[in-house]
Amino acid sequence: MTATVKKLRTLFATQFAEMTEFRAEIVIWMLSGTLSLVMMLVWMAQAGNAPGGQINGYSSAEFATYFLSTWLVSQLMVVWVAWELDMDIRQGTLSPKLLRPLDPLWMWYAGHLAERVVRFPALIAFVCLFAWLAGAQFTADPWAYLAAFGLAFLGFSARFLWEYVIGLLAFWTESSTSFQEVVWLVYAALGGMFAPLAFYPEWVQRVAVWTPFPYMLGLPAQLLAGKATLSDAGRGALVLLGWLVVFGLLRLIVWRRGLRKYGAVGA
Amino acid sequence: MTRYLRLIRIFTGATLSAQLEYRANFIGAVLASLGEVGVALLGIAVLFGQPGTTAVGGWSFHEALLVVGLFTLTEGFISVFIQPNLSKIAEAVRTGSMDFTLLKPIDAQFGISTRHLNVLRVTDLLMGMGLTVYAASHLTVTPLGVLGAALLYVSALVIVYCIWLVLSTTAFWFVKTQNVTELFNGVFGAARFPVTAFPVPVRAFLTFVVPIAFITTVPAQALTGELTPALALASPLVAAVFFVGARLFWLKAVGSYTSASS
Repeated sequence: MTATVKKLRTLFATQFAEMTEFRAEIVIWMLSGTLSLVMMLVWMAQAGNAPGGQINGYSSAEFATYFLSTWLVSQLMVVWVAWELDMDIRQGTLSPKLLRPLDPLWMWYAGHLAERVVRFPALIAFVCLFAWLAGAQFTADPWAYLAAFGLAFLGFSARFLWEYVIGLLAFWTESSTSFQEVVWLVYAALGGMFAPLAFYPEWVQRVAVWTPFPYMLGLPAQLLAGKATLSDAGRGALVLLGWLVVFGLLRLIVWRRGLRKYGAVGA
Repeated sequence: MTRYLRLIRIFTGATLSAQLEYRANFIGAVLASLGEVGVALLGIAVLFGQPGTTAVGGWSFHEALLVVGLFTLTEGFISVFIQPNLSKIAEAVRTGSMDFTLLKPIDAQFGISTRHLNVLRVTDLLMGMGLTVYAASHLTVTPLGVLGAALLYVSALVIVYCIWLVLSTTAFWFVKTQNVTELFNGVFGAARFPVTAFPVPVRAFLTFVVPIAFITTVPAQALTGELTPALALASPLVAAVFFVGARLFWLKAVGSYTSASS
């Protein structure tokens, strides 16, 4: 036990040191993920022009709150492990990582978590600035924040695992990272990055509740906006845990198969 | 001039034969294109899917679709022609291989801008064209409108190229700049929607600070016949100013280049 804890602490410390070196890049990457901000502006203008000043019960300010929350949560869910795996597998730099007495998954997982720590202060500053500019108002309930960040953590872990599986496809195919684009689209759509899920056609909503996406993006955002209850959060957490097990097992299977296929570069 | 045209032909042939070797990548490129078009289409589909919504920023569904088409086309243009070339500037400055480009007896900016081609993302261009034509077929367009739109879209492409060139050229001083173009991509995402779909202060920002409005909205307005003469004149003017500015910036950057070892 203590050995594992020590390993994890060392991993986290080294990854944290590496991430602080990239702080300028992290801010740039953060600002380049603008889809929810663009959607926010469009919906705000739509609500402003609509008769009664609202669409589906959302006023301009409520749109601002919802989309800024989505932006915040989606920023906590950024995962780039598929790119790392794709590169490492293709160039053979995976080999030295396999020699370590630890599944490389934990190294990347610690790296992503460390990056979140570096990202967080700037993220909060931007959210406060945008909220002030757009007139967004967040809930005052501390439990909602706890639940939202808990869900975001589970959601991040789920996304990390599925992206890991996509990255591992590099063992077999050249174009593994482009699968990402399509999976990202489903995640963004069903997660509620284009609009709150209630705005979608009903059949889409009925499909979405079976996927992890609404619980990792839309639900935490609604919690922060004060539009979802804690029992919603509990139900969402259960669904996410179920999906975590599924993705975890999938990762394990693909990893074992892939390693058998892998012969470093040139084989 | 003919020498430059011949060079373009040679460059194109070389990158074509290098890329077509990896046929499996084609599937990946199609998937990526589908993803990008999907994002743009879903964005307006959900907006127009609300009961009672017939217009976004005064644009009907097919007019907004026209903007999506031009946006996809521009994304294709970036990933086929611009990105494969200009994204290599930073790497060339870092490793010193920029020396070879500068020593060649052709204009260095020409060399760095035309050497590579990402043929695989031609799917983006096709999808963009398809969407634009489909949307236009549901609207009344005049031949004059088409001509105007085509001319204004050329200005748009010049603007896009210049912004990319300036951002990538900063690599001569800052070396690591791949991320800066990512910042442009973020703002460029707003071009999925007609600029009138945004609140007024943002609209001003997208017209005067980062001229995104000229890239998709203005050519689309020319097609639908809603263009004001002022904007029609402004677009080529902005393009010309950008082109001269980018050229001067590039020359200044090359002038301060001291190879990798110093």
